[in-house]
Amino acid sequence: MKEFELEPGEHVVMETRKHWFLFLLELLPFAVIAIIPFVLPKILPLAPQLAPYAELFDYGTPIMRAVLGAWLLIAWTSAWGAFTKYFLDVWVLTTQRLVDIEQRGYFSREVSSVLLSRVQDVTTDVVGVIPSLLGFGNINVQSAGATEKFHMNGIPRPEQMRDLIVKYIPEEDAKPLGV
Amino acid sequence: MPDQPLQPFAPPTDLLAYLPDGVSPGAMVEWFLYVVFAFWALYTIVAIYHWLKYSHASWAAFPSIALHLFISFALMAYALSGTLFI
Repeated sequence: MKEFELEPGEHVVMETRKHWFLFLLELLPFAVIAIIPFVLPKILPLAPQLAPYAELFDYGTPIMRAVLGAWLLIAWTSAWGAFTKYFLDVWVLTTQRLVDIEQRGYFSREVSSVLLSRVQDVTTDVVGVIPSLLGFGNINVQSAGATEKFHMNGIPRPEQMRDLIVKYIPEEDAKPLGV
Repeated sequence: MPDQPLQPFAPPTDLLAYLPDGVSPGAMVEWFLYVVFAFWALYTIVAIYHWLKYSHASWAAFPSIALHLFISFALMAYALSGTLFI
């Protein structure tokens, strides 16, 4: 790990990312952009005044091949950039702490962690039909401190993650809440 | 108030006719491709830098980079296929 050093005896229990469905949703705009050059020639003739423009989309000509190739290259590169961000945005659970590595953009990266010994409360919520069917939701981790909270949104199998977090809370700190 | 009746909207049918004198469509496309490829190269270098630095030597890093380069070069070849052999 480059963002944080593991302590002696500490090891990574689980590394997880946002659910794949949320990633697909992020890809949707790029898919729409990519199909525009193929859909426009079919839509334009429906409007009589714009019909002449449909003839411009002749991809047999060198100019239109260049434009289409460049268009698709931009769409593909942007989509791959979204995948890069998705992949580098990760939560890591170790035997001692929970680490949130957030890749906001290129050259914008935030790494925050909470010691499991400071965790006071772990709650999960799965809201909506699709999250319930596909099994993803949010985890909120309340640590010792006035306003310290750790949010993990769109995480797959949040109940499993919650159980793992609770499992690795040190025994001496796992006091019943409200006592 | 204008005293002439409004004319119906008539979009231009030949956009290339609006190019400045001395600029051929071929030259314009060539410079357009230069700009796009330069953007692509810069973006790709930055993304690969992030993959190699932050992916924690993940198994996905090199396949992802290889796939990106393969598809990108295929699209570049398609974009140039009409202009290279004129």
